Amino acid sequence: MQTVDMQQLKSGEVNLGTSIMAVQFRDGVVVGADSRTTTGSYIANRVTDKLTHIHDRIYCCRSGSAADTQAIADIVHYHLQMLTQQSGERPTVHIAGNVFQKLCYENKDALSAGIIVAGWDKDAGPSVYNIPLGGGLFRQPWAIGGSGSTYVYGYCDATYQEGWGRDETVNFVKNTLSLAMSRDGSSGGVIRMCVITEDKVERLFVPGNELPKFWEGEEVLKLIAPVKKRHEFTDDMAVEV
Amino acid sequence: MSIMEYNGGSVIAMVGKNCVAIASDLRLGVQSLGIASNFQKIFPVTDRIFVGLPGLATDVTTLHEQFRYRVNMYTIKEEREIEPETFAALVSSTLYERRFGPYFIEPVIAGMQRTPSGSYKPFIAATDLIGCLNFAKDFVVAGTASDKLFGVAEGLWEEDLGPEDLFETISQTMLNAVDRDTNSGWGVVVHLLTKDKVITRTLKGRMD
Repeated sequence: MQTVDMQQLKSGEVNLGTSIMAVQFRDGVVVGADSRTTTGSYIANRVTDKLTHIHDRIYCCRSGSAADTQAIADIVHYHLQMLTQQSGERPTVHIAGNVFQKLCYENKDALSAGIIVAGWDKDAGPSVYNIPLGGGLFRQPWAIGGSGSTYVYGYCDATYQEGWGRDETVNFVKNTLSLAMSRDGSSGGVIRMCVITEDKVERLFVPGNELPKFWEGEEVLKLIAPVKKRHEFTDDMAVEV
Repeated sequence: MSIMEYNGGSVIAMVGKNCVAIASDLRLGVQSLGIASNFQKIFPVTDRIFVGLPGLATDVTTLHEQFRYRVNMYTIKEEREIEPETFAALVSSTLYERRFGPYFIEPVIAGMQRTPSGSYKPFIAATDLIGCLNFAKDFVVAGTASDKLFGVAEGLWEEDLGPEDLFETISQTMLNAVDRDTNSGWGVVVHLLTKDKVITRTLKGRMD
């Protein structure tokens, strides 16, 4: 299970607390993330973009140390641009996953990075690769990551179905992230998603006030001090001994 | 992580013209996991005094019961209700009793103090976890979002705000401060005290 390793972050370092996920569907993949960046308990950025362009039809979701993941993503972006020029065609998602893995595994002692790579290529169609802390590479039909992911494994296991179309997948991502953002203190803000298909990459945005709502325990709030009108306190109420 | 940040939570009290307001969030968490969105941290002491207890949740309950006992004993012995200034001293001594093994709470007190002429004037105070009193004239803050509360309150507060304006000011202060803190939020409750009544409102805020 992926947890944010607080000890590996230096004091003052910025952390992508995070809930991220990517799901494969018929025609492509949907990648999604929350938008909270924290320094300890301070929310340094509440509108972060954790979905990073790696190549035309390959995006990655970043969790863990903000600096580490940004640096890794930049290096992978460079490698894939080189490969494109040298081979004359788009690199596959599998290749992108391997480039990430190489960096994350060989520098595992120094890095704190949990990354999900997803996209579309003409060899495999849509695919999702999960690269957790140790630097292993795991292809999955759907992957979740970040500190918030621990709270939604059950929901995802119970809800996911194969053979979904675009809209059902977008809804699945929206609901999952919404639940994780609600429970996890290190996740929150807005939901950003990218739908990656053969023809295009479509960016979606769900603001905080339009997040799907689940049980928030409102019925229990009535137990707290209701509106009361106070009686005037007079001497008649003094205790007689 | 520090013990004061384990459960999360923040409280603020503000002075207005012939009124006071005290507000808190409703979150109870275990570090980053949110558990409850209805955890009460502000309690009525008398009709005219409210105390807010942000900090470790177990001590919130314990201190609430301790103060209830001591205020009841005071009322029985003195045959009158306790005044806010006296209650603040009671809070201070209760905390200092545990100087070398303290309660992990930083209480915030808000009330309407009776004056010799028979009218009431607004009163707020706060203490640190071992009982050092702070009698501010404008506002007092405590909890995991205290730094952010200071910032927003300093910007929004002005003297002699009426009850409706004070409610708006304290609400905006709370909502925007807790939205920058991962361990506070999940709902806000505001109590507005005037000389003859208390109005309690629950605010709709971000639930992340």
